[in-house]
Amino acid sequence: MGLAQRLLLHEALVDLLGTTNVYFQPPPDFQMTYPCIVYSRDDQSVKRGDNVAYNVRQRYQVTYIDKNPDGDSIDALAEFPLSAFSRHFVTSGLNHDVFSIYY
Amino acid sequence: MAHLTWDDTGSRLYETGVDHGVLYIPDGSGDYTDGVAWNGLTTVTESPSGAEATALFADNIKYLDLRSAETFGATIEAYTYPDEFLQFDGVASPVAGVHVGQQSRSTFGFCYRTRLGNDVGGSDYGYKLHLIYGATAAPSEKAYATINDSPEAITFSWEIATTPVNAGGSLTPTAQLIIDSTKVDSGDLQTLEDLLYGQAGDPQMPSPADVIAIFEAGLTSVNMGAGANQPTYNTGTHVVTLPSVTGVVWKINGVTKTAGAQTAMTTGQTSTVEATPASGYVLTGDTDWVFTY
Repeated sequence: MGLAQRLLLHEALVDLLGTTNVYFQPPPDFQMTYPCIVYSRDDQSVKRGDNVAYNVRQRYQVTYIDKNPDGDSIDALAEFPLSAFSRHFVTSGLNHDVFSIYY
Repeated sequence: MAHLTWDDTGSRLYETGVDHGVLYIPDGSGDYTDGVAWNGLTTVTESPSGAEATALFADNIKYLDLRSAETFGATIEAYTYPDEFLQFDGVASPVAGVHVGQQSRSTFGFCYRTRLGNDVGGSDYGYKLHLIYGATAAPSEKAYATINDSPEAITFSWEIATTPVNAGGSLTPTAQLIIDSTKVDSGDLQTLEDLLYGQAGDPQMPSPADVIAIFEAGLTSVNMGAGANQPTYNTGTHVVTLPSVTGVVWKINGVTKTAGAQTAMTTGQTSTVEATPASGYVLTGDTDWVFTY
């Protein structure tokens, strides 16, 4: 179920970005094409009932990377359900907008 | 005289957890013959009340304390509830999927399980079954809130009050029974759980007297799967005939009936025949039949 749910998120991010430059936990030397979205597992929310984990949702750290500081996808990521903007920073001339998204 | 010791290995007991919630729907005569699983149970808070002391004075001293009757109440909290609970929460469903609020509230039965732990077996040392009779639920708040940046689920909460039922023998009527798996015979416990969870016919909650009988002397089993023990319907005369079976109380549409041929059904009529156990008996196999003219 975890994999299927992540693939749904991947599809949603590809739709949002309009390209396939969406990378899940890429290795450090991976050559990325910008603008892109990089995301990774971050945390999980567990609701307990009946002495079991009744509902489990994964949280992902989703980073939008673009040379343009006003990239189109920033607002779209903020409009995701269960999305929270975390921070913005610039490295090597690339703008990074980091979101936490439960999916 | 035995020497007292504390906290020996195996005696460091504790209680934890809650699961296996079951809602029992009473039939026309008040027997809890139809159980449904209650998923997502998070908390059951038992809140007994009453038993308040009234001091009496005589001979210039406090002579004694008189205590009022004790009543049992509880609060059930869960992420969800079975559809069948709506009728006990003041909601009627005149048409499937359409719910009408502010209706009358009837009584229901409830059962749940808590774990017993100790320092040796951990939380799997044993468990307690809690059986609640004659419960009614008070209206409760449901706070629906917008989805935000963290996943939340509403925890529903119902405050219940109870009316005690006959406990048999010399016992005072009660609304609560607790069975401790570490103290009772495992075979008898299995018999009770088969009844509660539907391993032997439909899930049902026996009366307090019957529960006590299970652990005192055991119940006599009646196999309702046997053809001779089942009701028959004559499609020519439209008559339902109930066999005379020791230990079986017959009900049609919730009304107790005597064995034998019943009044002929009329066009469009449906008869739901239900076999319920007489006190001291347990029924196995299917226990309800529906005949339609």
